Amino acid sequence: MTTTALKQPDTAPQRKESLGYRAVRMLLTQRIALLGLLTVAVLAVMVSLNSAGALSGSYDADYLAAALISAVPLAMLGLAELMVILSGRGGIDLSVGAIVSLCGIVFGYSYGVWNLGLFLSILITAAAGALCGALNGFLVAYIGFPPLIATLATFYAFKSLALIISGQKPISTVQIQDFFSAAQSVEIPLIGQNLPNIPLGIFTFLIPTAALVWVLLNRTTFGRRLFALGTNDVAAAWAGVDTRSNRMTAYVISGLISGLVAIVTVAQFASARPDAGVSGNGMALPAITIAVLGGVAITGGIGRVSGILLATLLVVWLNAGILLAFAGNEGTQFQLLALGLLLIGASLLNNLTRKKFGVLN
Amino acid sequence: MSTNLKSRAPAAGTPSPRKMLPRLVTGQEIVLIGIISVLWILLGFLTPAFLTPGSILPLLVAVAPIALIGVGMTFVIITAGIDVSVGAMLMVSAVITAQTMVATGISLVPALLLSIAVGALLGLVNGFLVAYGKIHAIIITFGTANIFLFIGLRLFGSSTVNGVPGTFDVFGRGAAGRTLGIPHSFAITLVVVAVAWWYLRHAASGRHLFAIGGNANAARLAGINVKPLVLMTYVITGALVGLAACFVIAQGTSTLDQSVGVGRELSVIAAVVIGGTSILGGRGSVLGTLLGAILVQTVTSGVTQLGWPSQLSDLFVGAAIIAAVGTDIVRERSRRKS
Amino acid sequence: MRGISKNYGGVRAIRQADLTVQPGTVHALVGENGAGKSTLIKILAGAEQPDTGTIEFDGKPVTITSTTDAIRLGVQTVYQEPQLFPDLSITENIFVGREIKRGPRVDWAAQAAQIQELLDMIGLPHKLATAPVGDLSIAQQQQVSIAKAVAGDASILILDEPSAILTDAEINVLFSIVRRLTQRGVAVIYISHRLDELFEIADTVTVMRDGQTLDTYDIQDLTVTKIAELMVGGIVTEQREPRDFHDIDPTLELQNIDYGQLLHGINLQVRPGEILGLYGLLGSGVAEIAETVYGMKQPTGGQMIYRGKPMVNKGPAEARRRGITLVPANRSAQGVFSFQSIRFNISIGDLAKLSPLKGWVNKRRERDIALDLIKRLGVKTPNENQPISAMSGGNAQKVVIARQLLSTPKLLVLAEPTQGVDVGAKEEIHRLIGQLAESGTAVLVVTTDLSEVLRISDRVLVVREGSIAAEFGPGATQVDILAAASGAVPTRKAS
Repeated sequence: MTTTALKQPDTAPQRKESLGYRAVRMLLTQRIALLGLLTVAVLAVMVSLNSAGALSGSYDADYLAAALISAVPLAMLGLAELMVILSGRGGIDLSVGAIVSLCGIVFGYSYGVWNLGLFLSILITAAAGALCGALNGFLVAYIGFPPLIATLATFYAFKSLALIISGQKPISTVQIQDFFSAAQSVEIPLIGQNLPNIPLGIFTFLIPTAALVWVLLNRTTFGRRLFALGTNDVAAAWAGVDTRSNRMTAYVISGLISGLVAIVTVAQFASARPDAGVSGNGMALPAITIAVLGGVAITGGIGRVSGILLATLLVVWLNAGILLAFAGNEGTQFQLLALGLLLIGASLLNNLTRKKFGVLN
Repeated sequence: MSTNLKSRAPAAGTPSPRKMLPRLVTGQEIVLIGIISVLWILLGFLTPAFLTPGSILPLLVAVAPIALIGVGMTFVIITAGIDVSVGAMLMVSAVITAQTMVATGISLVPALLLSIAVGALLGLVNGFLVAYGKIHAIIITFGTANIFLFIGLRLFGSSTVNGVPGTFDVFGRGAAGRTLGIPHSFAITLVVVAVAWWYLRHAASGRHLFAIGGNANAARLAGINVKPLVLMTYVITGALVGLAACFVIAQGTSTLDQSVGVGRELSVIAAVVIGGTSILGGRGSVLGTLLGAILVQTVTSGVTQLGWPSQLSDLFVGAAIIAAVGTDIVRERSRRKS
Repeated sequence: MRGISKNYGGVRAIRQADLTVQPGTVHALVGENGAGKSTLIKILAGAEQPDTGTIEFDGKPVTITSTTDAIRLGVQTVYQEPQLFPDLSITENIFVGREIKRGPRVDWAAQAAQIQELLDMIGLPHKLATAPVGDLSIAQQQQVSIAKAVAGDASILILDEPSAILTDAEINVLFSIVRRLTQRGVAVIYISHRLDELFEIADTVTVMRDGQTLDTYDIQDLTVTKIAELMVGGIVTEQREPRDFHDIDPTLELQNIDYGQLLHGINLQVRPGEILGLYGLLGSGVAEIAETVYGMKQPTGGQMIYRGKPMVNKGPAEARRRGITLVPANRSAQGVFSFQSIRFNISIGDLAKLSPLKGWVNKRRERDIALDLIKRLGVKTPNENQPISAMSGGNAQKVVIARQLLSTPKLLVLAEPTQGVDVGAKEEIHRLIGQLAESGTAVLVVTTDLSEVLRISDRVLVVREGSIAAEFGPGATQVDILAAASGAVPTRKAS
């Protein structure tokens, strides 16, 4: 005869949570909400400064739309980092900027020198990016390199290859220069009369990429396996997931996206520069910052496309405002400060509130 | 149990002290010494100019700042942390020191102390956030890298620092930088490496760093002061960055520009991992870092001397990282199996 | 400890706990998962702070705000997971935080001297003293943990489920160490789910239930059944009906399977509807049998016949495709995707089931499947989106089991199915296994829980040193099985 007493978990009596309390809690623990709030805050501050005449230019809808041009490569690389960081085991890709440089040269040759036509050139460039990603993926997933080190090594390798192949000279043939039109802002068809013009790249590159990544992560079995890998790759193996090939795929996708970014960059600069992705501090650092700001857990298993997009929007519009608030070089400097503070601030906030409210997201 | 064991002479048959310690030189270090020797001899053949003091000494001088910062970075990585802000820290220390030297003409020692103090202060910020903020080191130092970069660029004021006096020439490449043919900067670096080596091997808190990197939670439960120790590793890194900044100023011209420090963090991390320190923490060696720095500099210098395109050196560095870490992985795997 | 209570953000881990421990005694602390045992000892060890209550040592009140405080008071803890540093040597691990110093230097010679005696007592060879601890076996690492705690001049030694990963021979070594300690006046607090062990080693038992300490008893006044009753608040059944399967063709047959040094000539059959129990001490090779069947390891000799045809599984994915699923032994490391939802944790077991369209996830289907399994297995949760990390051991284990039941498996392997699971859920899981067998699944249960293997199996195979030592049908006793598993006199060698 069996009697098993079913116990209810003994929790402290739940107090009725007021709407305000719940809102604050959501803000502090849900990264998306926080980012949304910060974006609104930034816009509010900038707009008020604008009307007070404190800005050197006009912080209006047209300006904001034009500023979106820098959102395209940034968000896309943020999505690339999202893929690899999600895969866990210290997943990170330091080589994205170098892949951008290298693939920029590939595109430059395909489109600008060998005249292979736009479609084929895009295909080749994307394939080149995927190949670079495959090298990263192979080192990490099959050999067992820590991702930081593998992508550090390939960063050096790809960077130098770009410079060597191009002879250190940018490719600025006529076709490339004309390609600048691909980066122009266009009017949205049908409803665009009263809306500002949006850079073409948003529609041709960013939105498709973001949509694809979102579908990949949320609606495909690959996405599930990726999350499983990043959350607990030992358990994933026991559950029958092929850890190596799935992790490799994450890096391949990162490389492929970087290849696409190369095309966008070439259009923006109207020239294929071999140092495009690595000049200054490179593109990897901002991309990783966007990912972390967007709520990606550095240990893997947590991250959303919406976080990346919102983080990009916040940073791009904040940067645009800073450029107007401060003259010349000062502007770029304050952008650095803003980025650094945002990164540390957002992480600290999430950490502190996680203790109080439980796991985020 | 321990009450009856306290003061007891070692019984006959106790393993000798030598055997109780980790091996003196690790496999990775031996391999590196071998590779460096081979490269040097090879380069000596291909370009007779390589094995001359005129070429080796500047190489050692160039190694000094990387190896110096590398010592700090090794400490940090052993505790399973990382610091990608060292490049920015270098910029800030360098610009503050250089500007002070230009403005007030202070002498060597105060300038040195100033630079080290600035570095240590920046390191304190990193260390405090990492140790007490409970956020992953890579995120924190990415953030502080940006902030320090901001500070550095503001101080530069979008121009350069001109007319930097030769106060630091004693650390430089020229004749003033040498005694008996040995560059001072390299000698100091050797001393720092030696002290760090001893510390990691024989000091209790040095061994604790390995414990923290191996299992931070267990370290805490064992009564190790994890947070202050982790904080210390970042402060030391900062201080060493400050010292390295003086070397960098010395190695440059009288004009200091904003590119100082750019990308340094990657060269330092490269030197550390080539040297056999595991990025996952718990294992590492400052001797390896020194050798790693020498290897990287050898490659760069060799490429220049052979007249090859300078970008090739980056390619070789990438290959060196893969080779070094790859062999380390293979070696660890076979060790665990046995 | 008096009047202790502890809240974690709304969940009351301990409502009211009192514990009095006398020197020189072994004081067992028992209770289901979630009863509060771990929290209570964490408070004593300084890893957590109580919300209310007082702690007194020798009648004098103390405050323990950190692990260092606790260590200074003489409280040493050995946790289930060996808290060791894999790259440091045994010597360093034992002395970490308490190094013997000569000035600023560590005195290696003095440390080596002390280690000798410690190693002798624990039963580890001297030459291992300088080897990195990560190279040792799990059981050896556990022994180092104990040595470490012992070396620390403890007045109270807390052992949290130490026997879970030890062989019976190693457990005997553990008990002899514990007895020696109590003779010197050390108080030992012993937490265990293995109730039968307590009768060998404990003097008093405190039972916790639902965050409260119920009462403390002398061990003579108790029986295993009585303790279990107190833990659950109900009565627990034994044995199942014996059944016969000889006429049916086996689902799985192992013929002369070898695996390196660990398995030699394993022969066994499991038939549809049969529950075959495999019992073996740690290191006997019994875990490897499960792993080989599942494709995690490749046999080095012999062959496996599955449903009449030879089978080679290059990996778990292939095994699963064949209809063989497995519940891993170590839930937190090998089974649970901690911050993912229950739904995620279930569906990952067979993603193809979610996608009529290849590669595509149909969320509606996933939800329905998850809810159905949650209901079938009695997982206590408001909905399928709760993160699994918030669940108790028993509930989480049910989710991991659910993962294996997405398609009815032909062969279900369960490794340590109720380790770290409270008595109530344990009962439910055993019932579930019975139901699965009744519906035709062949079940292979690998466990080191003696009462469990007797309770649910139709037959029990005892594995010792890599081969099948004995087979038992219904009517076998725990003594029979244990004898067959340990073979020679236990204290001969520590393995």
